[in-house]
This record gives sequence, C-alpha cells and structure tokens, in this order.
Amino acid sequence: MRRLYDILSLFRNYFLFAFLIVVSVSLLALNDNVQIRAVRALTIASIGSLQETFGFIPNYFNLRRENSILREQNVALSDEVSRLREARLENSQLRRLLGLHEQARYNYVSANIVGKNLQLLRNTITLDVGEKDGLKVDMPIVSDAGLVGKVVGTSRGYAIGQILLNKDFRASVKVQRPRVDAILAWEGGERLILKNVVKTFDVHAGDLVITSEYSSLFPEGIRVGVVSKTESSSSSLFLAVEVTPGVDFARLEQVFVITHVPDTSRTAVELALTK
Amino acid sequence: MRRIALYSILSLLFILLQTTVVKFLSLGRIVPDILLIWVVYVAIRQGQAAGTAAGFLTGLVVDLLSGSDGMLGLAALSKTVAGFIAGFFYDENKMFQTLGGYQILIAVGVASVLQNVIYFVIFLQGSEIGWWGAILLYGLPTSFYTVVVTLLPMFAYARKYLT
Repeated sequence: MRRLYDILSLFRNYFLFAFLIVVSVSLLALNDNVQIRAVRALTIASIGSLQETFGFIPNYFNLRRENSILREQNVALSDEVSRLREARLENSQLRRLLGLHEQARYNYVSANIVGKNLQLLRNTITLDVGEKDGLKVDMPIVSDAGLVGKVVGTSRGYAIGQILLNKDFRASVKVQRPRVDAILAWEGGERLILKNVVKTFDVHAGDLVITSEYSSLFPEGIRVGVVSKTESSSSSLFLAVEVTPGVDFARLEQVFVITHVPDTSRTAVELALTK
Repeated sequence: MRRIALYSILSLLFILLQTTVVKFLSLGRIVPDILLIWVVYVAIRQGQAAGTAAGFLTGLVVDLLSGSDGMLGLAALSKTVAGFIAGFFYDENKMFQTLGGYQILIAVGVASVLQNVIYFVIFLQGSEIGWWGAILLYGLPTSFYTVVVTLLPMFAYARKYLT
C-alpha cells in the first residue's frame, strides 16, 4: 500500500494531467446537454456582469472619433431619410396597385458589446442583453453597417453572439444587382466568400450582397458587404467570390438584435417536402 | 487555501482583461494570449500540477464564454497541455531567474505553439479552413506576439528581483 502511494505521489503530475485531459475530451464529446447549457448560462451571466464594468474603457478612447463619425453620418442619414420617405410612398402605392403584401417589420433590441473573444478564430462577442430582453438563440445581430452575426448562447441578462468571421457561420445571401443567390461562408482572413456562384453569373466587384429571402434565420434585405474580388479558374465550375463585410468587427461597440424567430410552419413544410 | 483563492481571483481578472482590454492590442486578428502567460507564470511559480490545473480551469471558462459552438473542452484541453509543458520549466531554486530571464520566453513560446497546434487541429476538423494554413496565419503569429508581450513581465521581474 505504501509502495502504491509512493508511486502515485511520484507521478501525481502525470496522473493529474491525464485526468484533466480525459475530462476535457469528455466535455468535447458531451457538449450540448442540459447540465452544460445551465453551467454555460451561469458563466455568461457572471463573467458578463464583470465585463460590463470594464465597458467604459473603449468608450473613453473612442468617444472623440465616434462623435465626428456620428455627425457626418447624421447629415448623410437626414438626406437619405427624406429620399426614402418619397420612395416608401411610391413603393406602397405600387404595392397597392399590384396587390402585394407589406413586408413584416421587426423589433430591434439595442445592445452594447461588453466582451470580445477574437482569439484563435473563436470570434464571439458578449452582449449586455439577454433572455429578459426577449433574446433567443439564432436571433440575428446587426449594426448600422449591416449583418454582424447571430445569437448562439443566452443567460438572463447576457448573450453570446457568433460573428460572420466564424468557421461555423453560414447564411443564404443574394448579390443585389444581378439577383444571384449564394451561400455566405468564412474561410479565414478578413474577407468572406460566396459559394455556389456559377461562372456564367454576372457578378462583379462592387456589387452589394444582402441577406436572401431564402434564409430561414435572417430577414431578407440586410446588408452583408460588397463583392471585392471575383476569380474564375479553369478547374472549377464556380466563381471564387470574395466579399468585404460592411461591419468593421475590430471597432464594433454597439449592435442591435432583431427579435426575429424563424417561421416554424415554413421550415416544417420545407422539411416535409424534402423528406 | 488563501493562495488558491488569490490565484483564482487573479485568473478571473486575467480572463476579464483578455476579453475586454486585450482587444486594443490586436494587430489585425492577432491578439496576445495573456491567459497563457498567466498559466505559464503559475506553472513556473507553483509547479507543474498547479500550472496544469490553472490551464484547465482558465481554458474551461474561455470555452464556456464562447457559446454553444460545439467545442466546449477544447480550450481546456489545449491550455491543460500548455500548463503541463510549462511545468517542466519549474525549478524551485531558480524560480526568479526563470521568471526574469529568457527561459520564460522559451516556456511561453513552446507552450503557446503546442497549445495552438492542438487547438487548430481539433477546431478546424470538418471545416474548409486548412489547419496548417490557420497555424501559419494565426497560430504562429499569436505565439510570437504572446512572447513579445511576455517581455513586459519578464523585464519587470528582472528589475525587481535580479538587480
């Protein structure tokens, strides 16, 4: 017995190491069960409230720059609002003439980013709003510059958002001018890519990319970014299309969560038909 | 017990710094991993077992803060390995020389490269992003940047204890 204790004591670092490796691998295997979801919500809530106390730092450094940007934006937006009012009137008259339905409106919950995890491609943000504000997993996150990402975790007062620059992020999008549908993805770097764009499609640098009506997660028409490069290779049927996101993720501080949940009846019909 | 409480509070503080303040030091998408510097410090100061445990616990909190991306346990796993490897630099009689000398840079560099390789190889499984490219583009620059940032505590330590 004494000998066994001596051996255990001699190799205790290795036993501890092996034990913690087994625990980590087990967690990777277990992942999304109820207990882990509860622990995750508790961690988000407690660390989120502490992160919020550090929130003054970015505001302090960026206030001056932000003020001048906001003044410029204010002028540009006032001009745009008056033009959009005209367009809206015209649009509703035309819709009435054609018998089309008005598009659904969404509610926006404003949120501050209190934490960012941009390390090692994890690329998530912590928001200071949560379930008490009506947030649910999969709700879209946007900013004035366009689509930011989606909610992937919530606690009562905080939420975790997955940004576009994440290996697991996918969205159904449309290139606005030529009306070409594609899948938006990220394969590293600062740019996004469009998948499934056939070579014969007329997609050029400078084209605006927006969310598509085929997306079950995101409302249609949200600005995503601008096509920055297209490349055609003889070995592929598809164009390689790069998109520069509209949002500057490094400087992002405030966002809006759209309290939009996917239409379950639509997804049910789609699933039933594809079975 | 008091020491464990103190180290836990400091770990929490470093997690907060990593997710709030460190983003201001980012160069593109490369941010220094101050949590790893902390884990290496714990390993050199308190030994291999403490470093391994610190790596596991800080990594676990990072995982929990990343939402349900299906990778809970990955940062815990990679940081556990980092803490364990850093523990080989522990020498009770040369602790201050290690913390105030080039040895800590080597410890952080080795632990960081290993941590990032393990992390990316698992994280990018099934993804179209090649893990070799990710290690070259993000892993190695992150390790290098983390080693550069380690110069600050190293010089502070050298000044305080070795002069």
